[in-house]
Amino acid sequence: MALRYTQRLLQTQVPFLTRGYPLLVTKEKGEDVAHTKSALQKKWTGVDIPSAQYGGRHAVTMLPGGGIGPELMHYIREIFRFVGAPVDFEVIEIDPSTEGNDDLDYAITSIKRNGVAIKGNIETKSQGLDEVSRNVAIRNELDLYVNVLHCRSYPGIPSRHKNIDVVLIRQNTDGEYAMLEHESVRGVVESMKVVTVENAERVARYAFEYARQNNRKKVTTIHKANIMKLSDGLFLEVAKNVHKEYPEIEHNNMIIDNTCMQLVSNPHQFDVMNMTNLYGTIVSNVICGLIGGAGLLSGANYGDHFAVFEPGTRNTGTAIAGKNIANPVAMINASADMLNHLGHKEHARVIYEATYETVVNDGIRTPDLGGTASSTDVVENILKILARKRVNWPQGQYRD
Amino acid sequence: MALLARTFGRTLMQATAVRSIHTTSAVNQDSGALGGSRVTCTLIPGDGVGPELVYALQEVFKATNAPVDFENYFLSEVNPILSAKLEDVVASIQKNKVCIKGILATPDYSVAGELETLNMKLRRQLDLYANVVHVRSLPNVKTRHQSIDTVIIREQTEGEYSALEHESVPGIVECLKIITSKKSMRIAKFAFDYATKNNRKKVTAVHKANIMKLGDGLFLKSCEQMAKLYPRIQFEKMIVDNTTMQMVQRPNQFDVMVTPNLYGNILDNIGSGLVGGAGVVAGASYSAETVVFEPGARHTFAEAVGKNVANPTAMLLCGAKMLRHVNLPTYSEMITNAVNKVLKDGKVRTKDLGGQSTTQDYTRAVIANIH
Repeated sequence: MALRYTQRLLQTQVPFLTRGYPLLVTKEKGEDVAHTKSALQKKWTGVDIPSAQYGGRHAVTMLPGGGIGPELMHYIREIFRFVGAPVDFEVIEIDPSTEGNDDLDYAITSIKRNGVAIKGNIETKSQGLDEVSRNVAIRNELDLYVNVLHCRSYPGIPSRHKNIDVVLIRQNTDGEYAMLEHESVRGVVESMKVVTVENAERVARYAFEYARQNNRKKVTTIHKANIMKLSDGLFLEVAKNVHKEYPEIEHNNMIIDNTCMQLVSNPHQFDVMNMTNLYGTIVSNVICGLIGGAGLLSGANYGDHFAVFEPGTRNTGTAIAGKNIANPVAMINASADMLNHLGHKEHARVIYEATYETVVNDGIRTPDLGGTASSTDVVENILKILARKRVNWPQGQYRD
Repeated sequence: MALLARTFGRTLMQATAVRSIHTTSAVNQDSGALGGSRVTCTLIPGDGVGPELVYALQEVFKATNAPVDFENYFLSEVNPILSAKLEDVVASIQKNKVCIKGILATPDYSVAGELETLNMKLRRQLDLYANVVHVRSLPNVKTRHQSIDTVIIREQTEGEYSALEHESVPGIVECLKIITSKKSMRIAKFAFDYATKNNRKKVTAVHKANIMKLGDGLFLKSCEQMAKLYPRIQFEKMIVDNTTMQMVQRPNQFDVMVTPNLYGNILDNIGSGLVGGAGVVAGASYSAETVVFEPGARHTFAEAVGKNVANPTAMLLCGAKMLRHVNLPTYSEMITNAVNKVLKDGKVRTKDLGGQSTTQDYTRAVIANIH
């Protein structure tokens, strides 16, 4: 069997890149997907868990993480209590100083039960080889294959460029984060970057579907296929294939180094960006820097079954923990994203609006945005605005 | 060592800092108290003493000034002429998402010859699958056992209540008990999530799988499967006959119980009996979207209609639970505290608790204790 398979491989001596990759997840044969998952990806094979929604209230896992996480989560609970968001948090502390992964496993189980989580950044203190990064572990274990970051400028905040509105769609589970590294001979370390058709396709499809549903015009695929002809080449080719199903949306591609340059010189040319894992972190940090820092943007990680919401750039902010100067806006936006995802649109909207009003109109900003206010000042102002804008239980009329 | 000291120091500092900065002035008020937005709640008085109890509830709500409006529907199976249409009631509950309901009397023989009672129809249409009865000893109420604190969670849309009965040949009646894995998983998850949310330690699955190996076996298997997702909650199983004995002998061993339909009904009543009767235990039925709060043990107490002797405690606690559910915990505590105070003082109590006071006196006493 194996012999025959090798023979067949040898017969097909077509140049690799021109061979063409058939799409796996076409709408007609969606049921074949289960057989084609990559070995790397931890499949969610458990039973279908009923959703954790009881009497209109949702249970949500909350992972405060390290650094400023616990403070910010406290604000979130305060705001949620204040607007009467029908959400019950299951708070799970992960102690960064412990070596074992018990807490982490429990956190992942909890997200599987609840389906939705909000998290700060979780520190991985240990540099030990057997211990994986906890953030990466959560993403892989739950198969959260796409990370969505909507980067929008806030008017009035000192930044290089105005009116940026870019959506970053990032592959979240494979690529450079496959965590396959080894020292083949002494002094030579190899790190594998893995691109699979399946994951590349799911992300590309998400990007195009996002563009279609949100009336976006263009999707740009970011790659480095001139150097990594096979891996990034595959990613690009899959994106091109998927694009055929979305003829009304423009699609172009750009090499990552050029992208970075274009981003700092003319960011307005981008609309939706589709990219692999490492490029995603780089580009998201560049854009966050352009529009005013890590404290504003929220990100969402989606898989087929679970969703995890977090601040857009993944920094723990250990240095400013406990000083009451951390910017709570990113986490608040993430929590509003979460409410949106759960279907509590009214609650989400008032929180978005109150946050926006605080930062833009009232100009109450933390030092990272050039302001002088403390975290509590920002939160208190948001609460003050929320006191005027009331939402009824549970999806009642919106009042101004 | 240095590292340890540093980490510890930071944690300490963080803890104090967090505590000191988070006292904002506005947060101690409930939502609704400021903006004037109100909650609408469907209200079904029910049969028997229901209307009297609901009147007491409304009086108490008025006294707390809770921002709640009621939408009143008289629903009854024994009084079909006065009854509102089931569709209207269901639509109202779906709109409001919360409901307070008295007990609907269920005649042994249906007028229309239907097998399904009105109660069951309501539950099925709203998919109110989980019934939660929190059996808790009340202050200064004399009972055989002290400090009982047990939650009974009952599946109430399938099992013996499927209303599938037929006479296959004359003289032989078959009644079908339906257990599905989907609904069993759902109720098991509900029980474990309830335990997680309320910091409970143990979930006991009540079954009779030694006799009904397939039906109750499936229920038990679903519970076991779900228990694996909750490693920090202890899971145990108990056969229903033993459970009833243990309930009256050593009720303090139970924490959260999850049961199929009929067993739950029986245990609810045992539990209520243990802490003072049908008049003092509140319950709630949950679907994914809606909640119906109702007394835990289902007795209409029809013989006391108009005599002004029924105990409104259960209904008042239902109201308190409802307020907590819609994010009005301050009002909820007002009512719970007032009820506890009246019971503790023991001067005003209704006949079922060995007193001589009327429903009205009791209600007035509660209102007097609302601060």
